[in-house]
Amino acid sequence: MKYTYKIKPESLKFLTAISSSEYSGPTLGMGSLIASVFDASLGVVYVGEKANEFHGSSVNLTRKNLDNWNIIHPGLETLKWALKELKAYFPENVALGGIQFNADHVYKENGRVRVLLPEEKGCRVELILREGELVDQLRKEIQLEGYDLAIIGGSQNKRHLAHSIIQYLPSSILVLQKFKPRKKYKLLLLVDDSDATEKSVAWGALIAEKLGWPVHILTVSKTKRFGKGYQGAADMAKTYFDSMNIEIEQSFITGDPVSTFVDFAGDNHMIIMGASTLNPIKQLLFGSKPIKTLARTDVPILIVR
Amino acid sequence: MQVYIDILFWVRQKKWLLVALIYGMSMHHLVSPPADLNMAAYDALIIISMALILIITEPLPLPAIAIFMLFMQVVLGIDTANNVASSFMNDAVFFIMGSLMLAVAIVSQGLDKRLALGIIKLTGHKTWRIIAGFTAISAILASFIGEHTVAAMMMPVGLTLVRYAHKDPRKVAGLTAALLFSIAYGATIGSIGTPSGGGRNVIMMNYWTEFGVGTVSYLEWMKYVYPMVLFQIPFTVMILLWTFKPEQDNLDTAVRKLVVEVARSGKIRGREWLAIILFVLVFFGWVFLSEDFGLGIIALVGVFLYLAFGLVEWSELNRKTNWGVILLFGAAISIGIQMNQTGAAEWVAGVIISNLSQVIHSPEALQGSVAVLLTGIMSNILSSSATVAVVGPIVLDLGGDKILIGFATAIASAFGYFTAVAAPACTIIYSSGLVKSKDFLRAGWKMGVLSVLSLLGLALLWWPVLR
Repeated sequence: MKYTYKIKPESLKFLTAISSSEYSGPTLGMGSLIASVFDASLGVVYVGEKANEFHGSSVNLTRKNLDNWNIIHPGLETLKWALKELKAYFPENVALGGIQFNADHVYKENGRVRVLLPEEKGCRVELILREGELVDQLRKEIQLEGYDLAIIGGSQNKRHLAHSIIQYLPSSILVLQKFKPRKKYKLLLLVDDSDATEKSVAWGALIAEKLGWPVHILTVSKTKRFGKGYQGAADMAKTYFDSMNIEIEQSFITGDPVSTFVDFAGDNHMIIMGASTLNPIKQLLFGSKPIKTLARTDVPILIVR
Repeated sequence: MQVYIDILFWVRQKKWLLVALIYGMSMHHLVSPPADLNMAAYDALIIISMALILIITEPLPLPAIAIFMLFMQVVLGIDTANNVASSFMNDAVFFIMGSLMLAVAIVSQGLDKRLALGIIKLTGHKTWRIIAGFTAISAILASFIGEHTVAAMMMPVGLTLVRYAHKDPRKVAGLTAALLFSIAYGATIGSIGTPSGGGRNVIMMNYWTEFGVGTVSYLEWMKYVYPMVLFQIPFTVMILLWTFKPEQDNLDTAVRKLVVEVARSGKIRGREWLAIILFVLVFFGWVFLSEDFGLGIIALVGVFLYLAFGLVEWSELNRKTNWGVILLFGAAISIGIQMNQTGAAEWVAGVIISNLSQVIHSPEALQGSVAVLLTGIMSNILSSSATVAVVGPIVLDLGGDKILIGFATAIASAFGYFTAVAAPACTIIYSSGLVKSKDFLRAGWKMGVLSVLSLLGLALLWWPVLR
């Protein structure tokens, strides 16, 4: 038996959530980098705070008036910056380079504002403005556009949001905590007998292949005995990587899974693990390995769904 | 599995709705009302506390909360459907509706560019004089046309100056904050000056009439309150300069560029004159005719005239007016009237007075302190107008001179300096993304102290002269 799950990179859709030009540079950089190496389309979404409903119409009236003075919404300003950054990341992308940001070319639809960009071949970038609570807005955006991966910066509210992000976003999630764009990370791929392992392996292999990052496959068991499921999953992962000619290191460790993941990852790995298949109510009450790992680690983490 | 996730997500998003419902049902079915409180009054208090939970936490859109307050009055048997309907619509709601529509009509005329030129002519290029000019003009204009209208017109002027002062506003954070707060706090301190300065003033006037306290004319209101507006202006300027310390003493280049930009719009046109004349007519209507016709009706006449002269399209008014807020104020005033009629407001006032009379022995000081503190705190959590709608009936039952207590309450509802949610002008500058929540606290506590002291001075020194 072997893993059969295949990712079709050219059909992938990634979503990068940004908050400001001050803090979102690394997130946007990583989003654009992996969208580029995967040849995926990239949505960039700015989720801003929604004005208190009492004064919402006064705020809208002011914004309309600000338009007359050519002062645009702070969210559109951030998206304008994002487009400029994307162009800088990909100077070779002629289609992207030719696109000019125009704050007048925006379209309100489905509770969001979309910046209209020319649909030139090779561009495949969407700029979206949303207002409201972060998890709710990201969930709506992912459901609307069917994104495969959401890329989110690590915020100070991470621990508070960890559970909601993992449990409610219906896509794979890459949380870039303390991410340094120029740093070469090692991939720490967590393999066990869960259903999501097969997809994690496929994502890990593809990232390793595209970015050239070294891979360490880790299997952790609470008992000294590694069951058939664990052993089989680890073997199949190795076979998968071998078939793609990617060298790996592999470890089997006994201990508490979450503590082991966190300790092993240190500060130089990017963790890849599958989303929990536990009943959502149990996850809410007791947490899950991804939720606990995200809450405790400070390195980037990809949770594959 | 996905169904469970969807249900859990719904619960996450609506948890405060569930809390409000569980609280309401428990209080109604499991807890008996106090012996001295009748069932209708008890139910009115349950509805209002549920509505407060929903308004503060926003699990539902405001119109849904308004509808909830209305149908619950009938479902719980507090009053009949027809009586609830008639208490829902009154002159205060007309005024809020009219002033929101007038704001759209006035802002869409592009008068802000004229205003910018006028302010610069008055103030010159020095930063402190510009801050002083912004504060004074915002305060005076807001006292007549409402703070939301003034903030919407002044924001572009302020932001344009900031943009011309430095490419990156974060590099001149002090100047940015001082300019934006001069608009917000200027408009807020001005909004108490006349009845038309804010919907909350009209709500209080409506309660005075509704509860048989008496009537106060437009000019009488000004006589009682306007001195406080004028007194606060210079101190607000000092607070802003002291707190934010603008990085540039002189805005020569920025002002020159602003003047060039504004000058492009040419001479003032006929339709702009017409817009100004119509507003002046509305103003005179408020001053001289409101006792006979009501402030709300006159505001609606103004809207009618703007529409009749083609100065604004109905589609624009319809799109930009927040109908949800109008519904909510209608519903809040309706439940406020029920609180008065059922005796709920009197009961709450009695509980407050009996508990606090041990601490503050002078009845006047106690009534004033409760009115100001309760209103001031709530307006920083809710919104100023909603606070008056909810707290109004209670403070008017605290005892003492109901007119003066009403003035103190309406004034204290403008003390929403600490958060971005209380006053529309504060929400507007916050939406620029250039000021932070902590900026409201940095300057807000100083403004709070200033306003409380000013109100105290007004109540002790000025009002006794008038009564």
